[in-house]
Amino acid sequence: MSTPVRGAGTAVRERGTAARPAGYALVRAGRGSFLVHRRGTAVAAGLIVLLAAACLAYLCIGKTYAAPGEVLKVLLGEPSREEVTVGTLRLPRMTVGLLVGLAFGAGGALIQTVARNPLASPDVIGITQGASALTVGAMTFGLTSYAALPYVSVAGGLLAAALVYVFAWRGGLQATRFVLIGIGFAVALRSVTHLFMTKGDYLVAQRAQVWMTGSLNGPGWDEAAPLAWALLALAPFLCWAARAQRTVTMDDDTATALGVRLNRVRGGLVLLGVVLASIATGAAGPVDFVALLAPQLARRMTRTAQIPLLSSALTGAVIVVVADLLGRKLLEPTQLPVGVLTAAVGAPYLIWLIIKGHSTRNTGGTA
Amino acid sequence: MSAAVPLSTPRSSLVRRRIGWTVAAVAALLVAVLLSLAVGARPVAPGHVLDALLHGGEGKYAMDTAVVREMRLPRTLVGLMVGAGLALAGTALQGITRNPIADPGILGISHGAAVGVVLAIMLAGVESLTGYVWWAFGGAALASVAVYAIASRGRGGASPVKLALAGAAINALLVSLTTAVLTTQASVLDKFRFWQVGSLSASDTGLAGRIWPFLLVGAVLVLSVARGLDALALGEDVAKGLGQNVAAVRITGGLGATVLTGAGVAAAGPIAFVGLAVPHIARALVGGDHRWLLPMSALLGPVVLLAADTAGRVFFPPGEVPAGVMTALIGVPFLVALVRRKRVAAV
Repeated sequence: MSTPVRGAGTAVRERGTAARPAGYALVRAGRGSFLVHRRGTAVAAGLIVLLAAACLAYLCIGKTYAAPGEVLKVLLGEPSREEVTVGTLRLPRMTVGLLVGLAFGAGGALIQTVARNPLASPDVIGITQGASALTVGAMTFGLTSYAALPYVSVAGGLLAAALVYVFAWRGGLQATRFVLIGIGFAVALRSVTHLFMTKGDYLVAQRAQVWMTGSLNGPGWDEAAPLAWALLALAPFLCWAARAQRTVTMDDDTATALGVRLNRVRGGLVLLGVVLASIATGAAGPVDFVALLAPQLARRMTRTAQIPLLSSALTGAVIVVVADLLGRKLLEPTQLPVGVLTAAVGAPYLIWLIIKGHSTRNTGGTA
Repeated sequence: MSAAVPLSTPRSSLVRRRIGWTVAAVAALLVAVLLSLAVGARPVAPGHVLDALLHGGEGKYAMDTAVVREMRLPRTLVGLMVGAGLALAGTALQGITRNPIADPGILGISHGAAVGVVLAIMLAGVESLTGYVWWAFGGAALASVAVYAIASRGRGGASPVKLALAGAAINALLVSLTTAVLTTQASVLDKFRFWQVGSLSASDTGLAGRIWPFLLVGAVLVLSVARGLDALALGEDVAKGLGQNVAAVRITGGLGATVLTGAGVAAAGPIAFVGLAVPHIARALVGGDHRWLLPMSALLGPVVLLAADTAGRVFFPPGEVPAGVMTALIGVPFLVALVRRKRVAAV
């Protein structure tokens, strides 16, 4: 929705001439024109500013404090005395956190859109658990190269999603059944992960344990680069998804009447969502509940019926960067894994959702 | 709860069937115990197992005797107790919540107990099982109250989905808490990573002797409300009409289940799915009468747990698959089958 809009700031705006949905503005750029959701665009812009501020704070604050001016110098590639702390230690870690947050946010948004249920987020229904099980297994059995881990994670996530889907299908897909079976698989896959951990030697186990709670402690450019490439490769699909999302939000009859091949579109969106969540899991471990939380927060901010893709991704990035910053500072000198903090925020939110009673609804609305 | 009692069956034949299945369950339990004593990295012939237990073998059997008596016997005893305890807890929970997917593992009660143990070891410096078992009770009780309170709020009451979700949320919260404690004290991780899977392999001779009083108390509490659970199965209003004090039944049964889960977790770590699968098997065999159902579960629980433990010893030699992993792998197909039955998903 708001994706194709950036950079249209110089365009001419016309108001009130044609009938258009409330809350939308018409943007004309040359011969093309878009409908822009005003609030959605404002929220996305605000989130970008917030994210930039969070990133700057992330780079400044740490065991030693770096002045913002020095940080900017490092970012611009000028010589600075903070070169090592900021450029070599904090920057790659922040990049990984940023990308992981973006991927979890976008993946969660896509899956929640199709499921029309916030509870079907990848960390509740076993997708991240599947990704971790296979990844820890690969670690245990001697796969050490970071470049290969993302592929293993994606395979694990897809496998888990396929399993849950197959077992939950019974002449149709019912939300409660899907969620229940997903939770069951999540429990079983978690214990498979623990099994792999007890198989490996002590060092592998420790690395896996840290990875399992979702930790950004340690990654350098070697880990950030494959993640960035993978997300870049997915960018065209994301542009498609941002548009396709709108059609699946409609009710089935309307969408079908408009000529949308619903099942194909849904399948594509879910596939993309699972791949995104799995890639992020592969890079930083299962950072719990970001995929649940980010799309919901974003939707509340934009107040749209549809879950905004760009804002969800940005919200996810803000959550992960801020959580990791807090995790580094809260119990200094011990570093809390970022997954601990996101779970501490996300689990109460899930509880609130259950109490609110959205969980038992199968259809209707995006909530 | 599915009352599988066909009304047309004459009473005597029902009793005969129940007695028959109970005898079969006892036989299965004996076989499971024997296998648990005999199978492992050093296989002992079943004939020699009895010999080793009763007389202690001499000469070339001295080694067998040591293995059976000092390593496998304590483990088997703990497996017996924990299996029975978890199965009873699961049956009681399913009866109290009138919910077919209630299980200490899924509802997060086991994890509550586990967090209690971790906190006891790390914060209060408690080392002995009799010390931290109280913490386990506390954790289990808090978790079960929290999960039930969350799930019963809002529209529709405590439906299976809401209970499972509340359990998942509480689980996530507790795991995050444990991790926060563990990352600050890295030295404990190595011990904890084996314990958190749920395993019988760390059992020593004294363990069984220390946990049995707790399990006995729990079992008595649960068994004492068997009639109340029967009445509750007919619905809350009917139970009240039949003169049952519903609140007392729920509290007593819940307390019993909490004590059983807490003691089981303190002894063997959070072992999932035994409490889910066993009551359903037992119900299929002897019907929904809790006076038969609870003892049947107590017999079948150890069979499942010991079989899982024994299978775990054989699967990946020379290492072992912890019993908790095996029960989870056995339990998931069960959960899937249960949920796929229309009745459950629709509740």
